[in-house]
Amino acid sequence: MDEQGCPRCKTTKYRNPSLKLMVNVCGHTLCENCVEMLFVRGSGNCVQCDTPLRKSNFRVQLFEDPTVDKEVEIRKKVLKIYNKRDFDFPSLREYNDYLEQVEDIVYNLTNNVDVENTKLRMEQYQRENRDVIQRNKAKLTREQEELEELLLLEQQSNEQRRLEVLQEEQRQLQAKRKNKQALLDELEQSQLPATLLLAQHKVRAAQLETQIEQQKQAVKPTSLFSTGIHMRQTVSLQPVSKIEDVLYHYKPLQVETYGPPVPELEQLGRLGYLNHVRAAVIQDTAGGYTSALACYRAIQDAFSGLFPLKG
Amino acid sequence: MFHNSSQKKYWIFKSEDEIEHMRCKANQKFRNKALESRKPGGSESMFLQRHEEDVLFRHYERRLLEFCNAFKPTMPKSVVGTAVMYFRRFYLSNSVMEYHPRIIMLTCTYLACKVDEFNVSSTQFVGNLVQETPAGQERILEQILEYELLLIQQLNFHLVVHNPYRPMEGLLIDLKTRYPTLESPESLRKTADDFLTQAAMTDAGLLFSPSQIALTAILNSASRAGLNMESYLNECLGLKEDKETLSRMYDSMRRMKTLLKKYEPPKLEEVNISKQRLERIHAEFASSSNKRKRGYEEDGHVAKEPRLVEEVRWGNIVLSLTVLF
Repeated sequence: MDEQGCPRCKTTKYRNPSLKLMVNVCGHTLCENCVEMLFVRGSGNCVQCDTPLRKSNFRVQLFEDPTVDKEVEIRKKVLKIYNKRDFDFPSLREYNDYLEQVEDIVYNLTNNVDVENTKLRMEQYQRENRDVIQRNKAKLTREQEELEELLLLEQQSNEQRRLEVLQEEQRQLQAKRKNKQALLDELEQSQLPATLLLAQHKVRAAQLETQIEQQKQAVKPTSLFSTGIHMRQTVSLQPVSKIEDVLYHYKPLQVETYGPPVPELEQLGRLGYLNHVRAAVIQDTAGGYTSALACYRAIQDAFSGLFPLKG
Repeated sequence: MFHNSSQKKYWIFKSEDEIEHMRCKANQKFRNKALESRKPGGSESMFLQRHEEDVLFRHYERRLLEFCNAFKPTMPKSVVGTAVMYFRRFYLSNSVMEYHPRIIMLTCTYLACKVDEFNVSSTQFVGNLVQETPAGQERILEQILEYELLLIQQLNFHLVVHNPYRPMEGLLIDLKTRYPTLESPESLRKTADDFLTQAAMTDAGLLFSPSQIALTAILNSASRAGLNMESYLNECLGLKEDKETLSRMYDSMRRMKTLLKKYEPPKLEEVNISKQRLERIHAEFASSSNKRKRGYEEDGHVAKEPRLVEEVRWGNIVLSLTVLF
């Protein structure tokens, strides 16, 4: 990787870390010192390509490749003229063609291809579209202003919030200090034993602590999004439709068993059913089994679907 | 409970005609499919008639019961009942010509063991095919697993089967409790059990609820013993006022009894003739689909064997199974 440096005095960034490289419209670099020296009178020619340059047009080189700087400069200039936007065109296709044209111009100017013709084309375009350019320029500046205003507002509110927090902290600190001082005073003057005073102080300190905590929590939440929309603002304009429905009423479950009624599980013992089934041994009951369960199931199965269906 | 089961909803049919109609449709379905897929060589005459299918079905059903009864460890009755019911339901909509009953019956039993929580491992299961070599058992197991999903799908995923065995226990308990007129309800058990075994081999399970079958079994057993249990129906089951339901119940019991009486075990010579024809049909038609199935399973890890080898292997399985059943 070659070292960035001034082509005239051969100073490099390595040798002089504070070296400032400048670029002018032609895209050739010079260091700040050389610029000062060569353009004492305000204007002169480029060392490398003899293009007439003005001192005021020198910019600090932002990119490693000076042609990028050149392109940025040119693009800025071109876009000042070609400032139409997509809704100035009847179709997307035409807008795309227009953008392509802009790119062509930028490319030509950056790489010195057909510079004269391109410049002519630009001038012609400028003459033909004077009105539109003016209008768009005004519009753009207005939008820019609005955006800046918004940013400023946000900045201000941020600053204010920061100040508030700072003040709050200050106040808390003061309260703590006062508390401590009070303790010292009391220890000095009071007749009460020191342990009691210390305990009292502890209680007070704890109270103060919780108070501070509460205040911290009570910090009111921001009510404005950075986009300027109020929080909790209902955006939807349509009211939520009310759902009206009949309330749910519980109905006991009725199961059609297609058979004679089955005695309840609890009644099996009383009705004497359990005398006719194997009694559960103690090991069985561990899992919650009772002989009534098996009996109940057998009888349910016996009666379920016993009566033939009609038809 | 039976009253809100899929069995009541989908697997209880109105009449025997309806069931017979379904089986005819299954028979016809296979004929159409076979004729479509095959070059004109196959003629209608080589297919099995409905009554021949029936003979084979009964034959394999008996084999199924024999297999289950000889099963070690002893299989609970409900598992056997479930297996037979699966077998029956499966051949309602499929022809024996399409899926060979000797593998379907094993698949039904295997599935019934799982569903009815009779825990046997798959190797233990095929270990009960005592005439088979271990390698043969392995192959049959592979087949069972292959057909299992098909079976479940053909059963429409209705896997719970309500058998009449528990209802009979319930009825006996009820008799002992509420019907002291009957002196020894336990004495009815033997004949009633036989009745249920008989009923399992008929379409009773597709026509009547399990509790009806159980009640019929007990009443039938009682009448054999010369006892009249009409008062049980009247007093205990509360049918005194509801003469209509009572008469319908008697009617369905009568139908059930005739159904059982109509059952005749398949004759050996008929079975042998139909069996031979079935083997031919399977060699001709069904094996092609099986080969395809086996083909894609094996494609994954083994390069396709030459067709001949496949045929021979398949033939071996068929042969070994034929010896078995």
